[in-house]
Amino acid sequence: MTANAKRTGPLSRLYAKFGISGPVTPVLLAAAIGVPWLPGEFWTHVGTEVLILGLFAMSFNLLYGYMGQISFGHAAFFGVGAYATAMLFTALKGADGQIGVADFLLSLLVGPPVAALTALFVGFFCVRLTGIYFAILTLAFGELLFYIVFSWYSFTKGDDGIQGLLPPPFFQDSTNFYFFTLAIVVVAAAAMWRITESPFGYAMRTLRDNQRRAAFLGTNVRAHMLANFVIAGAFAGVAGALWGPFSRSVNPTLLGWGESGIAVFMTLIGGAGSFIGPMLGSVIYTMLQAVVKMYTVYWPLTIGTIILLIVLFAPGGILGMIDKRVQATRARDGAAEAEAAAAARAEAPRP
Amino acid sequence: MSAHDKKWEALTDHLKLSRRDFVFSGMAAGALTLTPRFVRAQAGMPYKIGVLLPSTGTGANYMAHAIKGLPVAIAELNKRGGLLGKHQVEMVYRDTETKPDVGAREAKSLILNDKVDAIFGTYSSAVALAVQEIVHEHKVLHFAATSNSSKITQDNFTPYTYQFCPDSNMQSGAVVVAVSRMAKKNNWKTYVSLGQDYEWGRDTHKGFTTGLAKVAPNIKEARQMWFKLGETDFTSYITAIMAAKPDFMFGAVAGKDAETFMQQAGQMGLFKRVPFPGGLIAVNDLKAQRKTLPRGIIGLARCPFFAHLKEPIMQAYIKRDRTAFGPDGYPDDWACMYYDALGGLEQGAKKAGSTSTEAIVKALKGASVETCRGKRSFRDCSNQLDVPSYVGEVWDSPDYPFPIYKPDTMILVEGHEVWTQSCEDVDKLKKKRA
Amino acid sequence: MDIAPYALQLFSGLSRAMVLFLLSAGLSLIFGVMNILNFAHATLWLLSGYVTFSIFTFLGQQFGASPWMLVPAIAGAVAVMALVGFALERFLIRHTYDRELPEQLLLTFALVLILGDVIKLIWGLENRRINLGVRPIEMLDTLVNPYQFVIIGTGVAVAVGLWLFLHRTRLGKIVRAAVYSRSMVSALGIPIPKIYALVFALGVGLAALAGGVFLPLLPMALGVDLDIIVQCFAVVVIGGFGSMLGTFVASIIVGVVYSFSILFWPDGALAMIFLIVIAVLIVRPWGLFGTELRY
Repeated sequence: MTANAKRTGPLSRLYAKFGISGPVTPVLLAAAIGVPWLPGEFWTHVGTEVLILGLFAMSFNLLYGYMGQISFGHAAFFGVGAYATAMLFTALKGADGQIGVADFLLSLLVGPPVAALTALFVGFFCVRLTGIYFAILTLAFGELLFYIVFSWYSFTKGDDGIQGLLPPPFFQDSTNFYFFTLAIVVVAAAAMWRITESPFGYAMRTLRDNQRRAAFLGTNVRAHMLANFVIAGAFAGVAGALWGPFSRSVNPTLLGWGESGIAVFMTLIGGAGSFIGPMLGSVIYTMLQAVVKMYTVYWPLTIGTIILLIVLFAPGGILGMIDKRVQATRARDGAAEAEAAAAARAEAPRP
Repeated sequence: MSAHDKKWEALTDHLKLSRRDFVFSGMAAGALTLTPRFVRAQAGMPYKIGVLLPSTGTGANYMAHAIKGLPVAIAELNKRGGLLGKHQVEMVYRDTETKPDVGAREAKSLILNDKVDAIFGTYSSAVALAVQEIVHEHKVLHFAATSNSSKITQDNFTPYTYQFCPDSNMQSGAVVVAVSRMAKKNNWKTYVSLGQDYEWGRDTHKGFTTGLAKVAPNIKEARQMWFKLGETDFTSYITAIMAAKPDFMFGAVAGKDAETFMQQAGQMGLFKRVPFPGGLIAVNDLKAQRKTLPRGIIGLARCPFFAHLKEPIMQAYIKRDRTAFGPDGYPDDWACMYYDALGGLEQGAKKAGSTSTEAIVKALKGASVETCRGKRSFRDCSNQLDVPSYVGEVWDSPDYPFPIYKPDTMILVEGHEVWTQSCEDVDKLKKKRA
Repeated sequence: MDIAPYALQLFSGLSRAMVLFLLSAGLSLIFGVMNILNFAHATLWLLSGYVTFSIFTFLGQQFGASPWMLVPAIAGAVAVMALVGFALERFLIRHTYDRELPEQLLLTFALVLILGDVIKLIWGLENRRINLGVRPIEMLDTLVNPYQFVIIGTGVAVAVGLWLFLHRTRLGKIVRAAVYSRSMVSALGIPIPKIYALVFALGVGLAALAGGVFLPLLPMALGVDLDIIVQCFAVVVIGGFGSMLGTFVASIIVGVVYSFSILFWPDGALAMIFLIVIAVLIVRPWGLFGTELRY
């Protein structure tokens, strides 16, 4: 009896319609809105970082969770977006170091297209491969782009990085910047959702599950992969564009495989099998890092061990584990009800 | 959060009361003012220093002694009552991982979460530049004592940053002085440069080549070679250097790569063929590489203890560190400079009569401070401490279990002799800050 | 024309190549047989360097310092690291054989972080180096480090030894067969798990040998693994996974190209290697000598 009552609740309905991301997303959103009310300015900064890197991780998941390919060079697009914004920002800001709101927004707008173009160039070569070779080639390109940014002093200021990215006074307030970031991330996530739930998104899932069959069905595999690669790069560019003004500077490490690894870790922790998994992973990863680094320098050991344990025991990440539990509970509640739920889920879109 | 909120917070935080409690305790505090001595004794709020140094990356090896030495120095300061005799000093350490965005994030964490009053750091100049953006925005004192790009005190200048380490221009300038003397004596005509391919390497190299061209224009650079950070095999570079048959070579190499290069070059006999004056050989290198370092080569240092044995501050410092860390515990250049930073803080607070950042910033501007290198002053326009760079010959001393610079040939090149930019030029370089 | 500078660049290039070969051989073998790309390979190499250092120092204290202590030190380190490799395979890597590729990659990636910090925990922040007291010798009108002959010699010896193992011993032939087809080998009744354990331990042992042999030339420091893994990957990609001949040839290509780049385009030595890697991946992803089946 109680089982039935549970299933008609709002979270249950969201679960039935959208899978595990359904109930989790509103919870995260509510928590996100509540962050600035926490004591001190510090957690607002942490929250902004969670949002930006979470968006970056979600863009990575377009390639990984949805298309089944692991890229170790995704940060190149994050970094390129950050640099594009940083360079336009520097060009537009006044002689007194201030930048106007319009110029600031303009500098943000330039990040994603430049990142997308870079992804188009890199993707052109990478999508001809899959599996381990795709992974290595994306790594190689990522390192090449890092190398270029690092070495080209006259254009990018090399390993000095670009400083002075102080936003206009309104955005210097951490709460304002936080809500601004939240708005952009929500819009970007909504756009990503539309893409993943479209026929294009389902073509991606087919590519993930069986490339050969997709080809037999007439799908232009390469073109689809490239389109997804560019889209993922563009969203990484959105995250990158926000990063510079947030951190007040950019530097070449933003393009390296270490930064790419962050997106991979976040996705793994939260769960690659769901839409909102990477964002949840960002929450866990960023907050864990903030806390652990207060007490020890052995952060790599900590995160390495966590990744190890997840790979061995919970490869679907946190959301994957929860999803399994929910499904197991429901299965236990009787075959008929499980059948009905399965039928309902089969009709509705599932990430 | 408004500035008003921030002040509330600072107040309630320090008193460790919640906002609500403060209102009630305010009445109690009013009662306490009837006994003034009580209140004054309770007024000693702790002063927090955030230490931003790497324990990962190329710099970790260099910072080991500084990281363990600072708590010892702080304990001794606290025994004397702390800052102004009443503020105990606390230290919070954070690892920058030698990454600029990590450094910026940890700086924010230190400032907003740990509420530090000052930041000591960093190792890498790139990290320092990123951190400067944060300290300037949040108006927090920043003492630099290892990262030494001239950009820190010039292009990226902020009044909150004070530099205790000779900057890259001063260091190159010292090498120019030493090399021009040796070149004249030995009739040198050509040289080859080897440099780490990143900002510090390029900056140092440029400082040297332009400086040398001014004083000895007849000396030509035959070849320039750059290598990526983390190079593990210098053999090909060394054979190329020897093939060019230059009169001497110049190196803009520091950190782990410097040690690798010295070891491999020594084993290949490079220094028998090609003199290598002015490579960075600091006290930690002299101690760590005592078995492998070729004797007789000319090195460059930033704050070697053996150059200031007559200074009472240095004597006391050496004694304290050797007591804490054993007979081999002589402080290295980096630990010395951070110790001077702590001393600078103490004297700045004394001069200002307060521990407020704005007061200390004002008090230290252009001021002189006592350091383990003697009495030194800050340059007005850049907050750069006028300190020497040290050039000397690696030599086995009977007094120490590791080599030092031979005392009778060691040269101290004063900062003001070689800081290449005039204050006018510096002001032109400074970027405008909002 | 003065041939000496070019001969010397070639010599230093070969020395560099042999170091790369020793390090990459294990990586290539592991991937070829087990299809696992061991990101932690260079970290295990670094760990071996530290272990060799500790054994060498210990032996020197017990029996008097002598450069010949390096030989038992290396032998000891190889034994220790082979055991470590065996344990890693048995307890961690084994669980990922039937998993997706990304999970296997992430496991070895996590090991990079964990082992890197283990080194920091045990040996601390400071660099470690040893000094064999080697004196330079005269050659071709210049001075060279005689130890480089040792490196080149070791590299060639290992290459020959590996070839003999893979082509002349039964076990080696089984390993080669496994590169081509695991299922066939298994169908012949040969226990694949035992082969995997052996191959992984062998691969890590080779890395340990590389670490020990290189120790007199390279101070061990935190983060050196990350510096060298890139070149290692380059070699394995260019040569082709699973092919020892490919690894050997590619090591020579990378080593010599790098060495000569320094004469002509010093800034771009590493960029040259990158471009070659990217070109290979685009044109012939399975490398010069790799098997097309694996693509």
